[in-house]
Amino acid sequence: MSDILLQVENLCTSFFTRAGEFKAIDGVSFYVREGETFGLVGESACGKTVTGLSILRLLPEPAGRIIGGKIILDGTNLIELSKKEMRAYRGKMISMILQDPMTSLNPVYTVGNQIGESVRLHQGLRDDMVEDEVISALRLLRIPAPEIRIRDYPFQMSGGMRQRVVGSIAMSCRPRLLIADEPTTALDATIQAQYIALFKDIQKQTDVAIIFITHDFGVIAQMCHRVAVMYAGKIVETAATSTIFKAPKHPYTAALINSVPHLDRKDDRLYSIEGQPPSLLNLPPGCRFAPRCHDVQEVCHQQQPPTVEISDGHSVSCWGVK
Amino acid sequence: MLSIMPNIEDKTRPKISGLSRRAHIMRSLTCIVPLTILSLLVLTAIFAPWLAPHDPIKVSMTERRLPPVFMEGGSTKYILGTDHLGRDVLSRAIYGARISLSVSLLVIAITASVGTILGIAAGYIGGRTEAFLMRFTDISMSFPPLVLAMLLSVILGPGYITVVLALSVLGWAPYARLIRGEALRIRNSDFVSQARVSGASPMRIMIKHIFPNVINPLIIVMTMAVGFMILAEAGLSFLGIGIPPPDPSWGSMVADGRGDIDRAWWITTFPGILIGMVVMSGNFFGDWLRDKMDPRLRQL
Repeated sequence: MSDILLQVENLCTSFFTRAGEFKAIDGVSFYVREGETFGLVGESACGKTVTGLSILRLLPEPAGRIIGGKIILDGTNLIELSKKEMRAYRGKMISMILQDPMTSLNPVYTVGNQIGESVRLHQGLRDDMVEDEVISALRLLRIPAPEIRIRDYPFQMSGGMRQRVVGSIAMSCRPRLLIADEPTTALDATIQAQYIALFKDIQKQTDVAIIFITHDFGVIAQMCHRVAVMYAGKIVETAATSTIFKAPKHPYTAALINSVPHLDRKDDRLYSIEGQPPSLLNLPPGCRFAPRCHDVQEVCHQQQPPTVEISDGHSVSCWGVK
Repeated sequence: MLSIMPNIEDKTRPKISGLSRRAHIMRSLTCIVPLTILSLLVLTAIFAPWLAPHDPIKVSMTERRLPPVFMEGGSTKYILGTDHLGRDVLSRAIYGARISLSVSLLVIAITASVGTILGIAAGYIGGRTEAFLMRFTDISMSFPPLVLAMLLSVILGPGYITVVLALSVLGWAPYARLIRGEALRIRNSDFVSQARVSGASPMRIMIKHIFPNVINPLIIVMTMAVGFMILAEAGLSFLGIGIPPPDPSWGSMVADGRGDIDRAWWITTFPGILIGMVVMSGNFFGDWLRDKMDPRLRQL
């Protein structure tokens, strides 16, 4: 397809510690189209955030390193860029919303100053023009009375407002790709719903592509066009959102969806997956989900399953899927 | 909706009156009193030649150890009495303000700047840079300062610049340690990640994001250092490797009067009171400044 904005191919990122090499992500491939929302879902520590940080090349150095693969954004392989060239991409082409809005803002500057930082870095505008950009960024995130709010310090704002300011910073240079790392986790349900509606609206206005990292299938259902399910550093299934919900093929995906509480079902206990994810230091030779899988076969313990595309845009890595 | 928003013209937001009127007055006193004392002393130092009633180094052997004016035998000629060489204590204290204050301020400016730069660099860059800078700091801190001061004094000869150098050469190390710890903490905070996501360079992050967040502890340590530096200068002067006599500094005045403390207490007491006042004023003013500069505490 020609409108692919980001193509990640066989990305491997490891953390080198005294205890050994943690393969945080191991051969992850996916693509994101322009103007689309792509969901990355999985339980804690499965490599979602590391995937996001790898795309921005902001892994905590020197422990974290990308050891293989390609990250192609609009024809440029980001892994081959120099540090300086990469800085020019950050904020302008790709942006990221970090997990916690409470600590993502510098307490000593006004929010206007912080939103303006990205604008000043990338666009070289005069101060009065920076202010116009900042106000329009705040307006994009529907912050009321932006002309007054730009002079506020972060501590003067509520959590929901701060999260919107963090969104304004990310959108201030109108990036083409936005990585949102669990942006709604710290918010309560009402604010969360507002925030998701807001992002859909922003996407319509700016045509930005979004990689939405979450562990919440409810958010995925509302927000994303396509979804990739991650488990222990690998993508196990990729499909359109509706396909994932209606016909999940990988046992892990099915189990995850099963463990979401439903209002219309009267189960006594919520479904849960037995066991723990494998240690990234000591991975099983075969499928990483095999020890917890219900439909496990002999081959699952010995060899890693190949990724097969079973229908258009739906690929699965499982020996049980033919 | 708009009615709850503050008016655009209204630059001064309504203050949250969490404090009683009395507490407010007490709080502003901790600013006004120390600031007044410090400014008066600085003005005294600047205008010393016009304020001092006598020549501070003029010896008068017939008028030795005269008591201050309010004691029996004192006269209005020497308001705070004279020392063991018949020199006017008041004039020496006034001129001493010049040396004592300027030495300590100069040393603090040098050590704080060097320590902050090295500390931020070590804390933010990390890795080998940090290892090298912090080992260098450790070595500096393990070196006996007096020995180094003596060495410098022998090489350069005693004098004003030697004192400043001797106190600065090792004095930056505690700042570097403190600031490195703070920088390390701030480096891992989300707003630094946010700045990196926005494409800020390491230099920009260090100057714009880390530095403003280390100012508070820096100011506290700097104000505490005022007293320490005055005392350190006194120690050097006492050992004869500080400000050479006959030039007065508060420290050397205290040292000079030590032998006479049983019969002429005023020689040591008045410069001692001045040292105490500067130290306390520095600490109180530092505390007040910290409250004022931290936006999280600003509206309290």
